[in-house]
Amino acid sequence: MRIVIGEGSCGIAAGAGKVHKAIESLMTENEVFTLGSTGCIGMCFLEPIVDLYDGKTLLRRLVKVKASDAENIVNCARTGDLSLVDSITISKDDEEFLNRQTRIALRHCGLIDPVSLDDYREADGYEALEKVLKTMTPDEVIEEIKISGLAGRGGAGFPTWFKWNAARQSVSDTKYLICNADEGDPGAFMDRAVIESDPHTLIEGMLIGAYAIGAKEMIVYVRAEYPLAITHLEIAIEHARKANLLGENILGTGFSCDMRIKAGAGAFVCGEETALIESLEGKRGMPRLKPPFPAQKGYMDEPSNINNVETFANVAWIMNNGGAAFAAMGTENSKGTKVFALTGKIRKGGLVEIPMGKTLRDVIYGIGGGIRDDKEFKAVQMGGPSGGCIPKDLLDTVIDYKALGATGAIMGSGGMVVMDESTCMVGMAKFFLDFTALESCGKCVHCRIGTRRMQEILTRIVKGEGKEGDIELLEELCEAVKDGALCGLGQTAPNPVLTTIRYFRNEYEAHIKDKKCPAKECVDLLTYSIAEDKCKGCTLCAKKCPAKAISGEVKKAHIIDSDMCIRCGQCVNTCRFGAINVD
Amino acid sequence: MEQIKITVNGIEMTGNKGETILNIAAKNGVEIPNLCYSPNLKLYGACGLCLIEAEGMPKLMRACSAVANDGMVLSTETERVKKARKIALELIMSDHEGDCVAPCSLNCPAHTDIQGYLKQIALGNDSEAVRIIKEKISIPASIGRVCPHPCESNCRRRLVEEPLSVAFLKAFAADRDLESDTPFKAVCEESTGKKVAIIGGGPAGLNAAYYLRLSGHDVTIYDAMPEMGGMLRYGIPEYRLPKDVLRKEVKAIADLGVKMQNNVKIGKDISFDEIRKNADAVLVTVGAWQGSSVGCKGEDLEGVLSGIDFLREVNMGNIPDIGKNVAVVGGGNTAMDACRTAVRCGAENVYVIYRRTRAEAPAEDIEIEEAIEEGVQFLFLTNPDEIIGENDKVKEVRLQIMELGEPDASGRRKPVPVEGEFKTLPVDTVISAIGQKCAPAGFEEIELTNRGTILADATTCMTNLDGVFAAGDATNKGASIAIDAIAEANTAAKAINAYLLGMPMDFPKPYYSERKVTAEMLADREKKARAVMSVKAPEYRKNNFESVINGFTEEQAREEAKRCLECGCHDFKDCKLIRYANDMPISPERLSGAKHECYKEQKLVTIERDQGKCILCNLCVRTCKENAGKGILGLVGRGFRTVIKPEFDNPDTVAVCKDCHMCADLCPTGALKILG
Repeated sequence: MRIVIGEGSCGIAAGAGKVHKAIESLMTENEVFTLGSTGCIGMCFLEPIVDLYDGKTLLRRLVKVKASDAENIVNCARTGDLSLVDSITISKDDEEFLNRQTRIALRHCGLIDPVSLDDYREADGYEALEKVLKTMTPDEVIEEIKISGLAGRGGAGFPTWFKWNAARQSVSDTKYLICNADEGDPGAFMDRAVIESDPHTLIEGMLIGAYAIGAKEMIVYVRAEYPLAITHLEIAIEHARKANLLGENILGTGFSCDMRIKAGAGAFVCGEETALIESLEGKRGMPRLKPPFPAQKGYMDEPSNINNVETFANVAWIMNNGGAAFAAMGTENSKGTKVFALTGKIRKGGLVEIPMGKTLRDVIYGIGGGIRDDKEFKAVQMGGPSGGCIPKDLLDTVIDYKALGATGAIMGSGGMVVMDESTCMVGMAKFFLDFTALESCGKCVHCRIGTRRMQEILTRIVKGEGKEGDIELLEELCEAVKDGALCGLGQTAPNPVLTTIRYFRNEYEAHIKDKKCPAKECVDLLTYSIAEDKCKGCTLCAKKCPAKAISGEVKKAHIIDSDMCIRCGQCVNTCRFGAINVD
Repeated sequence: MEQIKITVNGIEMTGNKGETILNIAAKNGVEIPNLCYSPNLKLYGACGLCLIEAEGMPKLMRACSAVANDGMVLSTETERVKKARKIALELIMSDHEGDCVAPCSLNCPAHTDIQGYLKQIALGNDSEAVRIIKEKISIPASIGRVCPHPCESNCRRRLVEEPLSVAFLKAFAADRDLESDTPFKAVCEESTGKKVAIIGGGPAGLNAAYYLRLSGHDVTIYDAMPEMGGMLRYGIPEYRLPKDVLRKEVKAIADLGVKMQNNVKIGKDISFDEIRKNADAVLVTVGAWQGSSVGCKGEDLEGVLSGIDFLREVNMGNIPDIGKNVAVVGGGNTAMDACRTAVRCGAENVYVIYRRTRAEAPAEDIEIEEAIEEGVQFLFLTNPDEIIGENDKVKEVRLQIMELGEPDASGRRKPVPVEGEFKTLPVDTVISAIGQKCAPAGFEEIELTNRGTILADATTCMTNLDGVFAAGDATNKGASIAIDAIAEANTAAKAINAYLLGMPMDFPKPYYSERKVTAEMLADREKKARAVMSVKAPEYRKNNFESVINGFTEEQAREEAKRCLECGCHDFKDCKLIRYANDMPISPERLSGAKHECYKEQKLVTIERDQGKCILCNLCVRTCKENAGKGILGLVGRGFRTVIKPEFDNPDTVAVCKDCHMCADLCPTGALKILG
């Protein structure tokens, strides 16, 4: 039997490392089972996950495993008695989370050992590369990508073949192929999972791209906050070099290309391709004016092509299966699959890859299992700080670049943050503006000052200091920043504000006119009081209150001094009689 | 080179293939606003002012970087473009901290370039100083002596120790100029053939006449009094404004070709209709010559005078018999003029009756001080209750004792009578100096305000009659200080000129950036005391009408002028930002919020840097790197907190500076200042 532990960053964060150690410590010298690890399986809500295999066959998937489960697992592996792990085996319902997905970019994630080239090769790895290098011309590669309809998965959705072709058409001895792995959207972790779990897929996809455009050097710009991804990629590069999959005369085909990693310091704007190039060149990460486009003048003023991790992760599959197979999935203008990082107030969070054309409801309810704690779904934020929110009555919107764009949100890189009734939409917009205002590079006026002003207006609204006309002023600023900002960061920064105003204008008005937060999230607008008829005078709340704002005699109704109250909500959580009113 | 054709704002232009839209437009005389562009630097595209609209393109484009394509149809002035430019300017301005103009100028009703002329006085160029002053004030020697100088009240030097002596410095320069062999004389524009009649030769009438004459119009001033000068001539006492000084300044105006007719009363010597008939435009500046009465029983008695009537008589050389004991009612400057004049007329006991305390008195403190020195007795917190006469002649005045109650609408504590407390003062004369009224006569067709003043448009000074304008004490809010009348006259002159030339009479209020400065921010300034004007001894001066002040010595004046902190931006006249901001109405206050952190000024050898004014166009950083090959400066910090500092925030990089000034030359605002 094989024990395989999911040890992506998420698994480790949930305690997979401890489980690994615990199992390892119980193993004897001539153990009958083996212990290995894999990357991210994609079910964050069930981490740590341990899979029990017989050869290639998955016998059991164990979830929410603790170090204390190690003994049972080891005994099970030794004896083959699977009933020992019944209590931690995944439920039928939860199995659906993966069963309902169609995995292309994530096809190896959680299945292979990320740092094993053999594992990757066993799973058809580098077959596409060999086929491309030995049997296809660069133009044929680009044509195949064109047939597939693959579009940039970083967010903008620009046709990949077009960019490749533009870079191919640029005349130069030196060209660069760059991978954008600066995944900066809060709540997005698709790219990290791919690199951590399946680094060779990225290398292979990039090599095919490099061959297509005529690049001899490949650079992966990955954020330094992804140490495990960097380590796995470094190992994979090393293995690939040794196997003549990188470097001179790859696989004896005469094609030479090498790869290096550049760790980024974590500026969100460096996810913008021209800022990324500046950063690669060792300069301050600030966007350049376009044109010239990177395909004409990119890194070191040479033709460069930049794609996102997920885009590259699809390439080998397309070459193996044909562009038409990829294009068979999806809608008229959005082909293939898309990976989403499903997070927020969702019951089952994790990585979801589904064919384009499914609805948001399919993802949130069909796969994600709906909202946590039986609360009401309110909206989903698509595309992180650059995207927008989509409300409940648009849940049947299909996942398609155009359809999502029409809602005011975007497909984005795949962040899908689910919000329930307790989320204040003004506060949500402020959260994202706090982020973009801070992450603005400071170059252009619209973004540097415009986002700051928007953030200031939102701040005063959530504090109950909003003024008549603030909504209109926000709308005006949003349009101006969209029109005037230099790069995508600024141009899209207004989206969370515009969509929340579009769908939840009443919440803005309640904050401004009535000084109330309908979601009861904005603490400055809340008043805590005790219902006299419900309070039993148990004194628990008074004891818990960190501000000493609650007073009263034993067995008599207590009162809250709202001047002293810091609105922390401790009393609400403490009261067993539901006597605390929050308005 | 291959040529292409584009259309910008309907104008067809030819350019080279590959050229940017901004370049082609500039070469063809169309300026597309920009703050971060320089032809000698790599394209940057930060300011967003050059956004323009192209036909068939959904998005606005940056003209600085967009390469023109043959056949492009572009607009730089559509509503969408203007809106984008406006908000870009408002955003920049909302984060721009500096004083375009010094607070003294901003608070001078005439917006005189005070910093400019003080600099010239400091340098010893009095004639140049007068030239600058005369851009706004045609009679500076007179105004410098009488002005209550709101400039000084707003002088930022008061945060260091004391304000500059601006008014006297103005008089100093103007006196020197008048006495010089080659006094400053402005040049009049060629004759327009248009006639302007000005009714009233006071400060407003004289000033308007001066600027209208300079604009080439044929100007005639009609005045009811024997001499020009209005209240300056007949209201202000000789000891404050020697009439010779005024005469010289009036003569200088007459020398430019302004015709002056005295002893002409409208409605008596000439009808208003006739004046209108003979002129293309008329300006009414008749002043406010009627004193307000005391408003108590006995005010009709012989021996009860109004302050301005009294001052006028004295100024005309008719010293009235006011007896030994004189009571002047009021706490303003006219009351001070009246009581001090009464002293000079030989009264032994002169009282000032004022219902509030000295702190509330609107008179200049120095006037009160000098009046006390001259023996005037101030009876604060008293109010005339009844003037008691004998044989219809004033014998005594009964005063109600007052106390201060709650603050009134003006914020001053309201005086209220202390019930039953009175005091009786034996007096021969009661002079009422509690205000002036306007009583325009002879202009019955002109619409009045409900306070009896002439109703004039706030922007154009035009009355209800076409081509008839009005300014000064006779209009709207009524009597005020001379510099207010001067300022209104300037507006009227501008409007009349536009009216005569058929141009729009549309004068938008200019936008200025203003900075809040605290004493702490000026703590490092060297303290230098304000120059003290020497005055004649009270014992001497109270017996005659000689000028009280002796004037500054030259050394005093130069040193005093050097105290100027030069608050106004050195780059104001060349600043691209403020020029654009004034090209369209902007209101950055609607976007007001935090401003970027301003670090202490950092010098680059001989260049002073002012972070507050920096708009992060990055031209200095770029030229230092790309043209000077140094890279001394760089952007530090992210987002809104980004500032320009020595590269990598390492002050040592400044050592490399070779003082080439390329950065300061390119700076579009006043953030970089070349010293010396």
